[in-house]
Amino acid sequence: MKFAVSRFNPDTDSKPHMQTFEVAVERGMMLRDALLEIQRQDESFAFRHSCGEGVCGSDGMNVNGTNRLACITAVSDLKEPVEVRPFPGRPIIRDLVVDMSQFYQQYKAVEPWLVREDPMPEQEILQSPADRDKLDGLYECILCGCCSTACPSFWWNPDKFHGPQALLTAWRFLADSRDQATEHRLNELEGPYKLFRCHTIMNCVEVCPKGLNPTQAIGHIKHLMLRQGV
Amino acid sequence: MSRKLSGLGAWVLQRATAIYIGLFGVALLGVMLVSPPTDYAQWRNWFADPLVGIATLVFIVSILLHAWVGIRDVLIDYIKPLWLRVSLLALLALGLLTWGLWASQSLILVRLV
Amino acid sequence: MGLAKRRFDALIIGAGGAGLNAAIQLAGREARVAVVSKVFPTRSHTVAAQGGVNAALANVLPDNWHWHMFDTVKGSDYLGDQDAIEYMCREAIPTVYELEHNGVPFSRLDNGKIYQRAFGGQSQNFGGAQAARTCAAADRTGHAILHTLYQQNLRARTHFFDEYFAIDLIRDDDGAILGALVLEIETGEPLLIEAKATVLATGGCGQAFRTTSNAHINTGDGMAMALRAGVPLMDMEFYQFHPTGIAGKGMLITEGVRGEGGYLVNKDGERFMERYAPNAKDLASRDVVSRAIVTEVKEGRGCGPNGEHVLLKLDHLGEEIINKRLPGIRETGKIFAGVDAVREPLPVFPTAHYAMGGIPTDRFGRVLAPIGTGEEVVPGLYAAGECACVSVHGANRLGGNSLLDILVFGRAAGLDLMQHMESNHRPMSEAAVDKAMSRLERWDRKGDGISVRELRDEFRKCMEDHAGVFRTEEIMDEGVARLKALRDQLDDVRLQDHSRVFNTARIEALELENIMACGMAIAVSALHRRESRGAHSRPDYPSRDDANWMKHSLYLLDGDRAEYKPVQTRPLSVETFPPKERVY
Repeated sequence: MKFAVSRFNPDTDSKPHMQTFEVAVERGMMLRDALLEIQRQDESFAFRHSCGEGVCGSDGMNVNGTNRLACITAVSDLKEPVEVRPFPGRPIIRDLVVDMSQFYQQYKAVEPWLVREDPMPEQEILQSPADRDKLDGLYECILCGCCSTACPSFWWNPDKFHGPQALLTAWRFLADSRDQATEHRLNELEGPYKLFRCHTIMNCVEVCPKGLNPTQAIGHIKHLMLRQGV
Repeated sequence: MSRKLSGLGAWVLQRATAIYIGLFGVALLGVMLVSPPTDYAQWRNWFADPLVGIATLVFIVSILLHAWVGIRDVLIDYIKPLWLRVSLLALLALGLLTWGLWASQSLILVRLV
Repeated sequence: MGLAKRRFDALIIGAGGAGLNAAIQLAGREARVAVVSKVFPTRSHTVAAQGGVNAALANVLPDNWHWHMFDTVKGSDYLGDQDAIEYMCREAIPTVYELEHNGVPFSRLDNGKIYQRAFGGQSQNFGGAQAARTCAAADRTGHAILHTLYQQNLRARTHFFDEYFAIDLIRDDDGAILGALVLEIETGEPLLIEAKATVLATGGCGQAFRTTSNAHINTGDGMAMALRAGVPLMDMEFYQFHPTGIAGKGMLITEGVRGEGGYLVNKDGERFMERYAPNAKDLASRDVVSRAIVTEVKEGRGCGPNGEHVLLKLDHLGEEIINKRLPGIRETGKIFAGVDAVREPLPVFPTAHYAMGGIPTDRFGRVLAPIGTGEEVVPGLYAAGECACVSVHGANRLGGNSLLDILVFGRAAGLDLMQHMESNHRPMSEAAVDKAMSRLERWDRKGDGISVRELRDEFRKCMEDHAGVFRTEEIMDEGVARLKALRDQLDDVRLQDHSRVFNTARIEALELENIMACGMAIAVSALHRRESRGAHSRPDYPSRDDANWMKHSLYLLDGDRAEYKPVQTRPLSVETFPPKERVY
């Protein structure tokens, strides 16, 4: 099976180019396995990967035009030749490795930690199963970056728009019955950029390898703002 | 509302105006289907009705606001140099204002003449 | 251009649960802390822990820490140090509450308390009825904990060096650790980090085996760095094979599946665990279940076209329970086995999972090295998490105790190293730095040679064949000889890619040396231990031999030597649990 992978070595190349490799496909092979096979043919080929089971979020990349995690993408599901490129819109460090620092900055900008003003109880803070259920579909995010780097609004304003990932995280804390910083969080999201650049294009929903729905989370934030504002 | 018009305010405004524009459009369509004015006099009379006049005025203002927020969003997304963006926004404001005045003027004329 | 240098009060190598929980203790205490991680922190392998963390909260069934302690001592096959185990089981309770306060989204019971599930080896009242001690966030507990700890570290403004690879510790002539030489992966430039205290929290070495639940990054870097700094590795022969990895692939299927009511069957549809562990059945301790599965397959009762695995049945739990409690498992099954767990059983086989052994420490996380007949603390060096051996797991770790171990002892190390913060940085000699630098520069050698991948694949295959679930003298002897031969070939390995920027081949070369050091430690220690205890199973010495072998083994890099030290059988405040036959 033919794989065309994007190559870029900053020492020698001025811009990325595609290189084709032939890989013998085995049953049940994932794209990560194929890329490791390519690495056996050419050790200078670089990409990030680790857990191999879709929980660490290292190996996000653009496969045949869609952002995906290589380790949970079956080669048999892909159209040949498979074109593998780095995430769109991010500065390329080498081959498939991109600079994700802006993405992490946006994550940090939503203050992604639980804030509790009340004194802590001696045991756990109680939370009903119904309230805990509200975090499902939010806390599972693995920070792979598939969503934000597929989002046109994030391509246009990566420095100012938080992007779907960070906004999903913002809602994860707003939705947590234990968190006590709602007012502060909503105030921080106000303005034309951080939240309101989302135009519900929904690329994020389409590409999320964990099946999460950032667009819906963004909608929830807007409605909460509205309710709090009125 | 404590929050600035730039974020939540603009978002709410765009949705509210969209709803109004939609309702007005449906109402207009209804009138046109049920008893469409056949000549200029009927048109004039219809518009001279104060209720229709106010509704139309609100419609014009809604279009203005809706267009302003929408086009401003597009400019923010695509136009990066600040001077260019500000110029285009100013141009947009001028254009919208001109159209708005023209449209309102015809409403006033209908009542006066 | 001279070598770039940074100075910190404390250096933490590794940003998994242990490293991050150590770092957080130092937050807001005027200490300058650097956390070095070869991957972005939330990619650390803690993220993959599924089932949960043990603490005797008694939210579901009656429980107390003393029962937890008994189970852990028994689970360890009496090789665990009882002082450390007591400390861990007591600390478990406040540790879990602290996690919850920090934001971990634990699953909940109707009364709003943390959900706890049954796991293997857990009992009420010192060996009585099954207990439910494992606090869970669905089947993504490690993910939930790691992300929360990272978030709290962001809040505390911990200084992270993301994607920096630790090459080696810097040691002075007195044996004190002065920091580490690290490599910025993005630029390929080395950086010297000086610290008054260094914590190794680098996790496990599962990559020493071919089929493993461990991530690509689990290459035993910290263990190997300790070895090179003259510190032994303790109890390395005790390597846990998790009973239920996806057959042929190794991805983990949590013990929580059996905790929720799933069970194993062979090709005849027989619930074979009833034969091996009449009481605990499928929730017997992991070593017992792994051996049972391998035995079933060996004796021709395996499933699949080649009879190479058994089946884990959970479809009877119903779609609702599976979606609520085991959603990740359903996903993993679909992707890697092509099986929807709601309808069909999952094909499973044991997979290399966890090192019970590691860098010897006391319960404050301080690293110990043998001096003469006793042992002493290595000045300035701490270890916590899977890379360390306190030892709380002894010869076999119970499910749910690993997250607990990393959290409790990560925290202990963080707290203890506070005492170094008032002291001064010790002087660092150039020779010490050069030694570490030479390890990096060695990979600049050009020319033809063996490739890293080639040698690594062979080494890992050899480990799987010779240091697996069942080990005989003959297999082990041959294995050690082959592993040594492979290790000798390391010198002939050459990189073809000598570029600097994000050179993953160079990182893998450095990792290969670490994998080999850990693999040798496992194989050599296993060869020497002539008894069966916990995860170390010798068909030629089938029973536990407390008279001769109730002792920790120490492996030293220098000459592949094995030494021994006594087990600490005296707890802190309660009575000793004397060794008993271990039946489930």
